[in-house]
Amino acid sequence: MSNTQDRVPLKARKVSFSWDDTPLHWVPGDPFTTHTINVLHLLLPAGERWFVHVYKQVLPYIRDERLREDVIGFIGQEAMHSQAHDEVLPHLREQGLDPTPYTAQVDWLFEKLLGDRTLPPGRPRRWWLMERVALIAAIEHYTAFLGDWVLNAGELDRRGADPTMLDLLRWHGAEEVEHRSVAFELFTHVDGSYRRRVRTWATAFTALVFLWQRGARFFMENDPTLIDGKATFKDFYVRGRRGTLPATGDMLRSIPRYLSRAYHPSQEGSTEQAVAYLASSPAALAAETAEKSAKGAV
Amino acid sequence: MPKLRTVAVVAGAALLARRAMRRRIQASPLWPMPALEEPVSGRPRSRSLRLLVTSREEVAEGVVRLRLEGRELPGWEPGAHLDLVLPSGLVRQYSLCGDPEDTSSYTVATRLVPDGRGGSREVHEQVREGMELEVRGPRNRFPLVRAESYVFVAGGIGITPVLPMLRALPDDVEWRLVYCGRGRASMPFVEDVEKLGRDRVTVVEGLPDLDALLAGVPEGAAVYCCGPEGLMAAVQERFPSVHLERFTPRASGGDAFEVELRRSGRTLTVTADSTVLAAVRAELPDTLYSCEQGFCGTCQQRVLEGEVDHRDELLTDAERGDSMLICVSRARGERLVLDM
Repeated sequence: MSNTQDRVPLKARKVSFSWDDTPLHWVPGDPFTTHTINVLHLLLPAGERWFVHVYKQVLPYIRDERLREDVIGFIGQEAMHSQAHDEVLPHLREQGLDPTPYTAQVDWLFEKLLGDRTLPPGRPRRWWLMERVALIAAIEHYTAFLGDWVLNAGELDRRGADPTMLDLLRWHGAEEVEHRSVAFELFTHVDGSYRRRVRTWATAFTALVFLWQRGARFFMENDPTLIDGKATFKDFYVRGRRGTLPATGDMLRSIPRYLSRAYHPSQEGSTEQAVAYLASSPAALAAETAEKSAKGAV
Repeated sequence: MPKLRTVAVVAGAALLARRAMRRRIQASPLWPMPALEEPVSGRPRSRSLRLLVTSREEVAEGVVRLRLEGRELPGWEPGAHLDLVLPSGLVRQYSLCGDPEDTSSYTVATRLVPDGRGGSREVHEQVREGMELEVRGPRNRFPLVRAESYVFVAGGIGITPVLPMLRALPDDVEWRLVYCGRGRASMPFVEDVEKLGRDRVTVVEGLPDLDALLAGVPEGAAVYCCGPEGLMAAVQERFPSVHLERFTPRASGGDAFEVELRRSGRTLTVTADSTVLAAVRAELPDTLYSCEQGFCGTCQQRVLEGEVDHRDELLTDAERGDSMLICVSRARGERLVLDM
């Protein structure tokens, strides 16, 4: 089941970014692309905290030592992703774009709606846990898709996008590609029902589309530098063709792949590319040097 | 044709519904999702800042005061300390001794300990005006509580957290300070505290006679002490509820201590070169952890008893009140009780 040649030990990298020099429109002259990608900073802090919260509960159900190690590595990486994106939010606020009204709703979604519920122990509680594990597997399909996309989005470099922001996105994207199999393998290990996979995919996909278009509209409408900013599907489609956002066609084609019975995340993206990026990412390199010097000091 | 009519009615209803929804969304763009009243995202924990050293002066024998300037610095309350990341990577804590109202600079003072662990020597020998230093915090584990009256006992450089406290106390509150040190020349800020009230401040050169100095402390007075270990132990003997600020060692290892896991009813020993996590994992292999460096937060556990020497970079003050990251943090005393 697991794909052995692609396996790398997962570990959290302690990155840090300085946002002082990042402009509000970090893709120059293209607020729509900027804000569509900025929606990540709205969803991920709460979302990835929720991943960690759910996975901590599922650990006792894991009967495979290697998968357990992977899940532990996954938890650490996701915790760092959540913190790294969280630190962008005050920067947006400083530039006059306060994300709190939106993030407070995302917090509600993950902490309340998808949080722990008072359920009788036994089957109902297990059902809710498995449902959330399956939801995470579906969401991780898209994070791996986006991670693979951003690693290959050369158009963003050509348009002079802010290097710090690109490094955050690519460091995150590379780690998503690196651990893309964990969520799905965990789901097949603890449950794996095909009906549940389809059902949770439908929920996750609808929710992602809903939250994303809403987040993009929220940013465009509240951007202090735009008069009557709007976000439309056409904007998205055009930028997909241009290569500054994922192409609509690619996104549609990824749907049947996840729903195929033969799906395995190792078929998507390339671990070599991800590992190669992590070996050259300024933030990941700085984290590695800091770790080495800390160990040297001991 | 009834079929056509049904289609027309449904289409009309859909159009009306769409228009109503558009209007609703226009009136409040974030409709219809509920929100959390106290949002969690976007309130980062301790961010590290790079501040410029704008002044470095010797305020007493062997004591250097640094002024670190920045813009819109996070606020702090008297008693708070700052983590200074020194050029070599050592992290040391220093109490803030400036004005809490000043949001453009932090002030810390440090005494040179020639045979110490290297932190103070580095500050004295290497930190110069015009240098940039990384700081984290501020954090407060020595907060000023509300009380009818206050007694402060400070020894030497231990005056630093007390100074902003004295300045923050309202005029009508009863307080007194016993400030002891080897000699006036080596006691920082001695004039500053005397200016705050000569009749309330007792400066002692040499060993203080605590029994005489602290006679008649009223019931309900809050007692604060910061200084050398011996002084704090002597004060704690007389006032068990004293608020203490220790300058704890923060080298990677530490002393051995005991950890009781209350729920599983086990007691383990954490040796000087081991961690709580390693000791706990030997007993409970299912214990969660990930980064083992105190930044991811996976191994956070609830602390039921005992004082923690927090060495992580993640938890907020509120979280530090009742929990710890067991991969790096240790006990300050001899024993910790965890809810595991």
